[in-house]
Amino acid sequence: MIRGRPPLSIPARVLAWDAALAAVRSELRGSGLAEVVTPVRLAAVAIEPFIEPIAAPPGLLATSPELPMKRLLCHGAPSCFQIAPCFRAGEVGDLHREELHLIEWYRLHADTPALRLDVERVVTAVFEAVASVLSEPGLPEPPRRWTQVGMLDLVDETLGVKLRGDEAPDELAAALRPVSAALGDPLATVPHARLAPHPRAHALAAWTAFFSAWCDARLDPWLHEHEGEGTHLVEFPLALAALSAPGSRTGSSSHAPCVAHRFESHVHGRELANGYRELRDPDEQRLRFEAVNALRVALDLPRLPIDEAFLADLHAPGLPPCAGVALGLDRLVLLASGRDRLGDVAIELGRPRRS
Amino acid sequence: MDVNELRKNAKVELDGHPYVVTDFQFVKPGKGQGLYKCKLKNMITGAVLDRTWRSGERLDAANVESKRMQFLFATADGFTFMDNESYEQVELTADLVGDDKFYLLDQLDVDVLFYNNRPVGVSLPSHVIMDIVECEPSVKGDTATNVTKSATVQTGLSVQVPLFIKEGERVKIDTRTGAYVERVNT
Repeated sequence: MIRGRPPLSIPARVLAWDAALAAVRSELRGSGLAEVVTPVRLAAVAIEPFIEPIAAPPGLLATSPELPMKRLLCHGAPSCFQIAPCFRAGEVGDLHREELHLIEWYRLHADTPALRLDVERVVTAVFEAVASVLSEPGLPEPPRRWTQVGMLDLVDETLGVKLRGDEAPDELAAALRPVSAALGDPLATVPHARLAPHPRAHALAAWTAFFSAWCDARLDPWLHEHEGEGTHLVEFPLALAALSAPGSRTGSSSHAPCVAHRFESHVHGRELANGYRELRDPDEQRLRFEAVNALRVALDLPRLPIDEAFLADLHAPGLPPCAGVALGLDRLVLLASGRDRLGDVAIELGRPRRS
Repeated sequence: MDVNELRKNAKVELDGHPYVVTDFQFVKPGKGQGLYKCKLKNMITGAVLDRTWRSGERLDAANVESKRMQFLFATADGFTFMDNESYEQVELTADLVGDDKFYLLDQLDVDVLFYNNRPVGVSLPSHVIMDIVECEPSVKGDTATNVTKSATVQTGLSVQVPLFIKEGERVKIDTRTGAYVERVNT
């Protein structure tokens, strides 16, 4: 791959996005999904400890279209997709922008393997579509192959630490002790004392801190060794289930659930998509939202409103069995264009220059 | 300040020293903590270090400002500068000025750095023009272009200059490296 290409010209950006949008729609409509648009300003978002919504009184700008789309499914909508503008405060970097576009889709009565195949088809289609309009030599190829690897198996391979996925914070800390320094002592910033009364929030904090440090110190270098490939990271620890259903580890002799049906797809070393077998249990869902808020309070972050309408819909009519995934379209266009920074491909004109 | 206010050129306080962020990278797993990877330079000593902060951490902004001032004179204790607008004078001790003293020409405009309203250092222009007060005579016939000789300028700084430079001539010096740049015709 050629690095250090100049930013795309404005006409090239328009052509690349036009080709990418058409390819996404062709793939997803072609495989039987209906396209929807849901509101961008919401009363509540799917709350996360480290995703900050932007206020748009009297609501919040969507951080993802997840909850409105799941509510549609509760009320009888067919399998559907959306190319949704989303907003996340403070995420600014080469691979982050406060305003982004998620391709989000849900398949009824389907599971995560079907969605991983969808991800592979969408990625390939967009790479080919963008390359065909940019007509530059040496643009990146779509992944030549895709592999699937268990997150905890990869932790073992890259750190030499065996984890089940349901360790409590003190047990996790003990298991990580030999490698803690190499990861920058990630559990040191967890407010352990303040979280002691909230075991779920405490586990979420500890596992998130470990996962984030591991991604930086071990997963990213591992992915760069596998440049040119696509990787689906599967079987996340329960504390990192987010909105996915609990399950058991493949090959595990125990039948107790200790991982979640969640996957992350990485292409050419970049995180691109995140998918779930969707959690349908309203009581479990409420406990997870409350754990996020307990963690936010412990970190002196503002408590976020819980989407009571969504929880009510999970009770009745209820969410049919389904799987869903969100894929960052901006990053996909970036990768397909062979550029390094989202600002090199965004369709956005800067401020006027002062003369 | 919150770590999400970190940017290139942000000024933060660490262990009682002001630092400026010289390089900044934000990485974040979608559902993980953001990592703010910074290269920092100590604004007083120039020492550099790497430091990573995580989402949710807090840090202190450094109360620093810089003022354009003119060098007035040196004494045994230090160096005195004057604000060109308010005529206010400040004195920096010799150890804070360090080797920058070799570039302090009379009436030179510099940026004086204040930390918590105390002057803590100077930031020189990238080049200054100085007089050669002493150097070995040129040797006729030696035409090799990369040969240099020692010369001394009016502040006592010793620089390597090309053989054709003579006493009394003016030269441009790079204050970051102390290297000769070119002869200045007056």
